[in-house]
Amino acid sequence: MPATPVYIVCSPRPHVGRTLVARLLSEFLLLKNGKVTAFDINLKEPSLIDFLPKITETAEIEDTFGKMALMDRIIVDDGLSKVIDLGFHAFDEFFKMSEEIGFLKEAVRRNVAPVVLFMADTDRTSARGHETLHRQIPPDRLIVVDDEFIVRGELPEAMDRSRVLRVAALPIFLKTYIDRLTFSFTDYLRQERDSSTELHQWIRRNYFNFRELELDLIMQQS
Amino acid sequence: MAKPAVIVVGADKGGVGKTTVSRTLLDYFSANNVPTRAFDTESPRGTLKRFHPDVTEIVDMTSTADQMKIFDTLNAAVPSVTVIDVRAGLLSPSLASLRDIGFLDAAKSGQITFAVFHILGPSIASLEEIAETANFMAGARYFLVKNFINNTSFFEWDQATYNSYFHRINDATELTIPKLNEMAFEQVEVASVPFLKFVANKGIHDEGANYSFVLRGYVRHWLANVWSEFDRIKLTDIVGSPSGKGSVRSGEK
Repeated sequence: MPATPVYIVCSPRPHVGRTLVARLLSEFLLLKNGKVTAFDINLKEPSLIDFLPKITETAEIEDTFGKMALMDRIIVDDGLSKVIDLGFHAFDEFFKMSEEIGFLKEAVRRNVAPVVLFMADTDRTSARGHETLHRQIPPDRLIVVDDEFIVRGELPEAMDRSRVLRVAALPIFLKTYIDRLTFSFTDYLRQERDSSTELHQWIRRNYFNFRELELDLIMQQS
Repeated sequence: MAKPAVIVVGADKGGVGKTTVSRTLLDYFSANNVPTRAFDTESPRGTLKRFHPDVTEIVDMTSTADQMKIFDTLNAAVPSVTVIDVRAGLLSPSLASLRDIGFLDAAKSGQITFAVFHILGPSIASLEEIAETANFMAGARYFLVKNFINNTSFFEWDQATYNSYFHRINDATELTIPKLNEMAFEQVEVASVPFLKFVANKGIHDEGANYSFVLRGYVRHWLANVWSEFDRIKLTDIVGSPSGKGSVRSGEK
């Protein structure tokens, strides 16, 4: 039986497109599988729960109760894909806890497949964050997300050596359009008749990349 | 046949985590397949017995009958290791009793391996207890244990004063027990199982349990750090039961 995937979208820095990727991924999984659960660990609004209130729960990991409430949920092999939008403020604590409690080992034991999607940036904090993950996460489970709107050029070398998922930059007017709380990527694909529009192509390309990611995960497990 | 080994765990005051340390010792020996028995002197109701009922007896160290129960059976082949959890505040009087019955002489002459785990509290009284304990330590291994599990602070000690007491005992060794997440500690208390069983998600009779994965993870990590301290001092060698090279001890799987 395929493992239950848990996608952790993260960065130690704010404003790197993390919630955007979490939204895209959640909507993709919802479209493909019919169901998904998302966890929003964010201080700031708007955040994932504002965009996808029906499938998102808030979570916090500042105290042990919060950690238990989150981790005891995501370690369950229930066949339900999970997406965590891990706010920058929680990055260090989450991965420190993960290492301490042996999350990855336990996940293997329980047929759960964590995948970390690290939002790249070119500053030192991001570099340190990536290094932390590189030490902890097996290479086939660590994906660097190169959002071209954020990185605007070459990825740092260390990150480029990891598996990379590229998200093309959108023009500002389209970014503003998709940043509306009522905007749904899947609804747009369904409703927009002209599939040649830039936004249509952009969404489909990202959905395709996620599908490739899912297939790779299945291949690794077989 | 291994020389009998006796480990006394004591403290000058309550609440410093003495019984917690005793529990980690029992788990350590269990994981290293060292047959061990324990005596809990918190008569009539002992905390140690609650967690390790199969290997622990409650005794009154001041009673001759109970002294005979402990020390007249030391030379039995199995178990070769005896852990005695001494009631808080009674470490020095207990050691005096051991001296009076000739036990310390037997340790000094090498007939018995004797070790004291002195759990330190954050006060000058603890330092004075070190000075008192020093009188009994000839021929014994002496371990000063700083237990941070209760978030104790040792910072108020003046380092120079601490060193002057510490150096009164030859070959005294410091051990550090790190802090354990409070909720994890409480859950183990509620479950009333050894740390090792909590980590393995088992109940007292080895039945499957449903403890939080997060709390089990914290306990596993903490216990590994505690055991690495015991490995550092070569505790299994001290008690005469070196663990097999290359074998994976239970609890690390």
